[in-house]
Amino acid sequence: MKNVIIISLLGVTAYYLLSAFVSIPFGEDFINGVKDFYLNKSPEDLKVANVVTSIVVNFRGFDTLGEVTVLFLASTALGSILYRRRSSHTALNPQRTAPQASTLVQAGAKVIFPFTVLLGAYVFIHGHLTPGGGFQGGAIIATGFLLMLISYRKFFVEHNVLTWIEALAGTSFVVIGLAGLVYADNHNFLENFLPAGELNDLLSGGIIGIIYIAVGFKVGAEITGILDTLLTIKEAGLDPEEN
Amino acid sequence: MQAFLTYSIYGTALFLMLLGLYAVLMKKNLIKIVIGLSVADSGLHLLFVAVGYINGGTAPIFSPAVAGTGTVMTDPVPQALVLTAIVIGFGVTAVALALVVRLYRKHNTTNIDEIKNLKW
Amino acid sequence: MTDPVYFIAIPLLTAFLLPLFGKIYKPLIGIIPGLVFAFTAYISFDLYFNLEPGKPVIVQMAGWAPPWGINLVFGEFSGLIVSLITFLAFLVWVYSYNFKKVGFDNSKKYFTLLMLMVAGSIGVVLTGDIFNMFVFLEITAISSYGLTAFYKGRDSAEAAFKFLLIGSLSSTFILLAILLLYKQTGTLNMAEIAIKSQAIDPKIKSIIAILFFVGFGIEAEMFPLNGWVPDAYSQAPGPVAASFASILAKSGIYALIRVFYTVLDVEGIFNLLLTAGLLTIIFAEFTAMRQTRLRRMLAYSSIGQMGLIMVAFSFNTKAGVFAGLFLMFNHAVIKTLLFLASGFLTYSTKQKKIRDLDGFGKIMPFTSLMFGLGAFAIVGLPPFSGFWGKLNMLTATADSNLYLVIALILVVAVVEIIYYFKVIGRLYFRERHEDVNIQKPTWNAVLAMSILALVIIGVGLYPDFITDYLAKATNELFDKAGYIKHVLPSLSLN
Repeated sequence: MKNVIIISLLGVTAYYLLSAFVSIPFGEDFINGVKDFYLNKSPEDLKVANVVTSIVVNFRGFDTLGEVTVLFLASTALGSILYRRRSSHTALNPQRTAPQASTLVQAGAKVIFPFTVLLGAYVFIHGHLTPGGGFQGGAIIATGFLLMLISYRKFFVEHNVLTWIEALAGTSFVVIGLAGLVYADNHNFLENFLPAGELNDLLSGGIIGIIYIAVGFKVGAEITGILDTLLTIKEAGLDPEEN
Repeated sequence: MQAFLTYSIYGTALFLMLLGLYAVLMKKNLIKIVIGLSVADSGLHLLFVAVGYINGGTAPIFSPAVAGTGTVMTDPVPQALVLTAIVIGFGVTAVALALVVRLYRKHNTTNIDEIKNLKW
Repeated sequence: MTDPVYFIAIPLLTAFLLPLFGKIYKPLIGIIPGLVFAFTAYISFDLYFNLEPGKPVIVQMAGWAPPWGINLVFGEFSGLIVSLITFLAFLVWVYSYNFKKVGFDNSKKYFTLLMLMVAGSIGVVLTGDIFNMFVFLEITAISSYGLTAFYKGRDSAEAAFKFLLIGSLSSTFILLAILLLYKQTGTLNMAEIAIKSQAIDPKIKSIIAILFFVGFGIEAEMFPLNGWVPDAYSQAPGPVAASFASILAKSGIYALIRVFYTVLDVEGIFNLLLTAGLLTIIFAEFTAMRQTRLRRMLAYSSIGQMGLIMVAFSFNTKAGVFAGLFLMFNHAVIKTLLFLASGFLTYSTKQKKIRDLDGFGKIMPFTSLMFGLGAFAIVGLPPFSGFWGKLNMLTATADSNLYLVIALILVVAVVEIIYYFKVIGRLYFRERHEDVNIQKPTWNAVLAMSILALVIIGVGLYPDFITDYLAKATNELFDKAGYIKHVLPSLSLN
């Protein structure tokens, strides 16, 4: 019964949504909106080759601050949801329940790990020139750490270091934004106050590159922290606090 | 051809989204519910990217090869929005999984029927 | 001149730095958030009272004028709500400052989440960009999932999971609406959408409107998608429940009215809002009467109040909006007081049942007095501020010639009186049989509750104290052309 109701409800939703979306012919450029401005200004004024990056970090940079906050929030919420008191000895002596990976996987992981981190760093440093950016680069770095975490039972990341990276990277994002209020021409939050450079140079785009590096560090640290928190948990039913 | 493309591409993305929502509403396993959320999000993200496509457009990057040639570029705005939406979806999924871990620790099950308060 | 971006940037900066402060000196974790809340409350009141009439403060992000960049609008309407949010956030901090139960490491997470929830709500209210509003709404939502599940051992994880599922549904709908709106108008700026949306095909426009309606309605506790509310309110820590009522629900209803008053004008949407509001009231108030647990009763009562606010805004008249704003103010202040008082009342009872509260009036005189005062105020008895809200609501309804709605509001007021007085009767007119370990309210909790009580009585005796500001906010909300002119000086509404 519930099944029928829900399927018909979803069917009605699907019908109306599809009827709204077919009014937008696929692949046709018929709106006359903000996108042309972005496509013109990004290479001319900001000297940023990747228009998506210039939208994400500059034109709509405030959204990205919110986005970084969401990740920070997710890692904090995760910590508060899965937190245990220090008195339970697992906090001092963490354990993973996953079985030990085979030697082949371990050896392979060790070889691949540094290159993964390097690739991640490359992706976020070149965020304004090539596809990618801080979020993608950070996610690549975190996959490197995930590989190590699942291959080695005794591989633990230092949460203290992660906290410092998260805090400093997040702070530098906001501080760069606030510096725009003081040093930039129009005194706006997140406004560019550095020379724009030349299109397609590594040192171009003013503050965009710096923000993306901070975002890369922050995202890498946060996703690694989230993965580590989710992996390093104890069997159920042993904790007195839960009952 | 145009109409076929429009219907099939938007239809697929919407179908994926509604499939995810169906799993969220109907599945009994908490992990499957979280997977449903994730699938619904993916459908929505595909829809964003599909809506931003422009026929014959390349990625909106002014690399030396395309600079000054007047190449058509796809709409960069939905791509920027979808980046934000993906990160938000990731955050929600992470929190959902943490809650599932908590529920499993407490009730020793991932079946929604055995967790009293979740039925409504 | 204060830049409105400080209201968001400073709490975010502090939230990022809070773990480091904890490493330097642990008590800073409790003190710094308070300083930040006090500072944001101070600068928002300062900016609000020095606002030039009819001239909202508009700032652009990253130096791009709207519609290309994101802008923040601190006007008479949004400024009022921001001031209210920052003031109540400060009081919630005062109340929860030394919550010893959880220890330092946890209080760090608690204050981080609380601060981000407040920053997110301020962002929702201030932003002039529809997608940015979605981002801030998600910040608010994710921090409230974390706060709901904050206490272990209770059913908090269930409540938070339920909240998360419904919240994700809401964000899916809002994103779909934003996508359709972007493809129809080519912009995300609310003022430019307001101009361009007049050309949208009415059928598509009504689909967009319904998507927004459902999406924001979930945050505003609208029937039938409010199943998460009683669970979240009863499982979250006391001050968090208070901030859900005063901050979270307010940002949801703000988004709803901003979108339907300023951005989209769709025929029939206000009738839909009226219907949803009335159903919400009826469902919530009659369910509240049957509750045996204090927190759940307060949660259902809160849903009922939100329904009343929706009804007030659905009239689409100045009197209606004025009454709605008055009700919002009352709900924020009085519900906060009730939740804070209930936190101490139910502290010592295991089941948190209403019948466990027999004779508490003698054991906990101050907290019971505060609860009683809040109950008298929320049902709308003079001389408290709740009276003026209900009175304005009734006159606004009469102006719109909706006599059945008047009858319903009066019936519901009787229902409210019944269930609130049931609690007061237990507190004051029953004998206590068994002994109980009571938790004396701490000095900071007493301070927070006293300030709220003073506001309630002060506004009750001198309603003129706030009516001026509410009237200005009402006028600004109706001045759609003015909003567009200020955000986009080069364009105008034709």
